[in-house]
Amino acid sequence: MSELIKMKNVTKVYPLGETEVHALTGVDLTIKKGEFISITGPSGSGKSTLMHIIGCLDIATSGSYFLQGKDVNKMNGNQLADIRKELIGFVFQDFYLLPDVPAWYNVSLPMIYNRVAPKERKEKAIRILKSVGLEDRVTHLPNQLSGGERQRVAIARALANEPEIIIADEPTGNLDSVRGEEILKILSDLHKKGKTIIIVSHEKYVAERGNKKIYLKDGRIERTN
Amino acid sequence: MFRGFLIEILRSSIESIKANKLRSLLTTLGIVIGVMTVIGVMSVISGLKNNVANTFSQLGKNVLYVDKYPWSMGHMSREEWDKIRKRDNIDTKELEALKEYGTSLEYVSPLVTRNLNMNRGEKEAAEVEINGTSEDFDRIRNRNVKLGRFLSKDDLKYKRHVCVLGTKVVETLFPDENPVGNKVKIQGRQFNVIGVLEEKGEMMGWNMDNVAVIPFTTMTEFTGRSDRSITIAIYAENEEEATEEIRWILRGARNLKPGEEDDFSINSSEALITQFNQLTKTIFLISIAIAAISLIVGGIGIMNIMLVSVSERTREIGVRKAIGAKSSEILGQFLMESVVICLVGGFLGILLGASLTKLISIMSNGNLPFYIPIWSIFLGFGFCCSIGIFFGYYPARKASKLSPVEALRYE
Repeated sequence: MSELIKMKNVTKVYPLGETEVHALTGVDLTIKKGEFISITGPSGSGKSTLMHIIGCLDIATSGSYFLQGKDVNKMNGNQLADIRKELIGFVFQDFYLLPDVPAWYNVSLPMIYNRVAPKERKEKAIRILKSVGLEDRVTHLPNQLSGGERQRVAIARALANEPEIIIADEPTGNLDSVRGEEILKILSDLHKKGKTIIIVSHEKYVAERGNKKIYLKDGRIERTN
Repeated sequence: MFRGFLIEILRSSIESIKANKLRSLLTTLGIVIGVMTVIGVMSVISGLKNNVANTFSQLGKNVLYVDKYPWSMGHMSREEWDKIRKRDNIDTKELEALKEYGTSLEYVSPLVTRNLNMNRGEKEAAEVEINGTSEDFDRIRNRNVKLGRFLSKDDLKYKRHVCVLGTKVVETLFPDENPVGNKVKIQGRQFNVIGVLEEKGEMMGWNMDNVAVIPFTTMTEFTGRSDRSITIAIYAENEEEATEEIRWILRGARNLKPGEEDDFSINSSEALITQFNQLTKTIFLISIAIAAISLIVGGIGIMNIMLVSVSERTREIGVRKAIGAKSSEILGQFLMESVVICLVGGFLGILLGASLTKLISIMSNGNLPFYIPIWSIFLGFGFCCSIGIFFGYYPARKASKLSPVEALRYE
């Protein structure tokens, strides 16, 4: 399997008033295409920061990060946006759906930025919603959906531009265990279909799903197994 | 595909405005009032201009009026005014000179006008515009008789007590009779009605049918004041040439030495229209200034509400960026939203402005026609677009510069 992500000695420092917060203090990480990675650790360990950097939402303060062989640290805002658009799908704890538009439109949103024609957008959005079991929720607004359904819409949205990598930040954090299990099953299925999955969670049963479990503490990787 | 994207951000702008209907409406109020003012004022002025041009043209095309006073005085100092007041009266001497020497002057008529009451038994026509003039006046003013005849040379020569009436006067004094051959009284003097003028209608409150025409010679005799200046109305095909010729004849008749200023005025309806246009230009500029202030205030309102909107939707901006939106695309989205709000305001403003114009037109009894210049609508929309872009740029830029991580964390 080819190396998709290669990080070396990545640090992230945030200014916080007079002082600085060292969120990551030197992370080395390699992720291969098709892996199912879980990142876990106590709060404040740098999980979210690492996820943001992997997902190209943020840039490391120092160290190197190559994604598909490209140096992410050297990219400008537009290039990072293109990476996020084409290569990465995000799933968030709070779903982050647009409240005033129906499920299918939420799913089609990434395709707008990918300049997909409107008709094709809607058709594809409905197809993806079907694949996560929401064929009868296509025209519902987010507030007409249950938490589990909303998260499935969010996963559908993450899949819209057929990304290589799915990054899920506490995807089960706002769901009961049954709904959470459903979401994890969908992610497992996607993994089986060849997607690279990165789940960030502090919940043990979620972290257990990963083929490779990364444990973060104090801004560095404490162990990998 | 870029067009598709534009349509998409247009759609989402409309959605977001629909989601905040009241807020958007209040925000856009400044724009509405500004555009309404522009449309309203422009329409009224345009209507007024057309109307005034029409009215003035009733004074006759290709007609020049020799007067003691100029019609359009503009700004004049005390001394200049005194100089004009001390001019010698225009008199029959000048009239005769023009008649005798004028080669480019087709018709030359004296004109003295008084507003007097006319009576017939118990009936009275009040404030009739009585023109004392000559037999050529019908051709100068383009006023034909529909009944009877106009004045003749002999009427003037023998100072006959005859008159030609306008239809308004006929309506009042002869409701069901043919007036020709009947008698009317002006200031106690009896006049034979010899003709009736064709109807001309009303313009800006000036009823052109509330008139009577009598011989100039009769008029000066019975008004009895030879110390008053008269007007000489002249019809000429070539106004410029005629003006020059009149000047030279009058300078001769009034014994002006070379280098001395003209001590008479040659007026035409053109000059009046020019003066009126200057007046409306001033009104126009003032109202544009008011509208501009209102539009700027409106623009600041737009900026304010867009800042609120950006702050409210920080999370949304974060999501859009996370799924691949570029800064420029976020900028475009918020700019579009601000432009759409402004255009909605502009549309309402045009609608209200048009209604206002209609209302004014109705209240003026049709004296001000309902007329909206197309270019004022384009101008209104153009203004709105510019304001939307100008005042929406800062908030939109703020939105586009948000870091995705911080935007997503925003509570």
